[in-house]
Amino acid sequence: MTERSATHGTFTLERIYDAAPARVFKAWADPAIKARWFVGPSDWQLLERSIDFRIGGKERLSGRKGSGIVSTFDAVYHDIVPDQRIIYCYDMRLDGVHISASLATVQLTPAGAGTRLTFTEQAVFLDGYDDSGSRERGTRILLEQLGGELQR
Amino acid sequence: MAERSVTHTTFTLERSYDAPPAKVFKAFADPAIKRRWFVEGEGWEVDEFVSDFKTGGVERSRFRFKGGEPIRNDTSYHDIVPNERIIFAYTMTIGEKRISASLATCEFKPSGAGTQFVFTEQGAFLDGLDSAGPREGGWKELLDALGRSLKS
Repeated sequence: MTERSATHGTFTLERIYDAAPARVFKAWADPAIKARWFVGPSDWQLLERSIDFRIGGKERLSGRKGSGIVSTFDAVYHDIVPDQRIIYCYDMRLDGVHISASLATVQLTPAGAGTRLTFTEQAVFLDGYDDSGSRERGTRILLEQLGGELQR
Repeated sequence: MAERSVTHTTFTLERSYDAPPAKVFKAFADPAIKRRWFVEGEGWEVDEFVSDFKTGGVERSRFRFKGGEPIRNDTSYHDIVPNERIIFAYTMTIGEKRISASLATCEFKPSGAGTQFVFTEQGAFLDGLDSAGPREGGWKELLDALGRSLKS
């Protein structure tokens, strides 16, 4: 039997983007734009992507890492305030094993002509899965990729 | 335009129940039992309670306190390990205003002939409409009501 455990953690990241809140919001809301920056590393191979960006709507992103492990992100949108806020809950699975559930809050506030993005993740890691900060590192990379997209 | 804000908080509540984990778990899993301790308190009018207790399933309750504004709880189940763990996300909405989004972890651990129950809520409280203190107080009352229901 699996040894059950639940380890709770929270982290917050902040970024200033040189783009207006409406444009930053659109990069999350528009599936074609999100597909350009919400991707794994270069050795990651896309298996499945779907997004239904509305309250109660679901998103899935599944891909195979260079190691061969299949990671699956399954999200449900809980709160959407156009140009200001997105809250979603998501599960991560590695080869079908549930490793975490998280509540993610994306807040967008005007900062001069640009946008301050605050990303807060409240996570529970399951059954001994040792995150060791890798979720936060992965999220930093995603927010950098978002920055690259906004400079296009 | 409404002033948008998000306050992130985590709280944990523990209870010792005289009933074994299977019985405490069933009080969450069985909609007829859950309805009694979760929504049917004194002074509460229940307009709807539907629960599809499975991973990926949703639960919706709508109620009012002494004829007040309609309150709505939308829950989605993220992780269910029979007799051991339930993880769900939920939003609370009063009238048309969403006041919170939360991730909740319920852990059921054997303790002698009874159960050590641990409830952890990771919440995002929205736009100054709710906060962790009242939420924690609300769950204390619910867990007391759960305790009474286990004695019947």
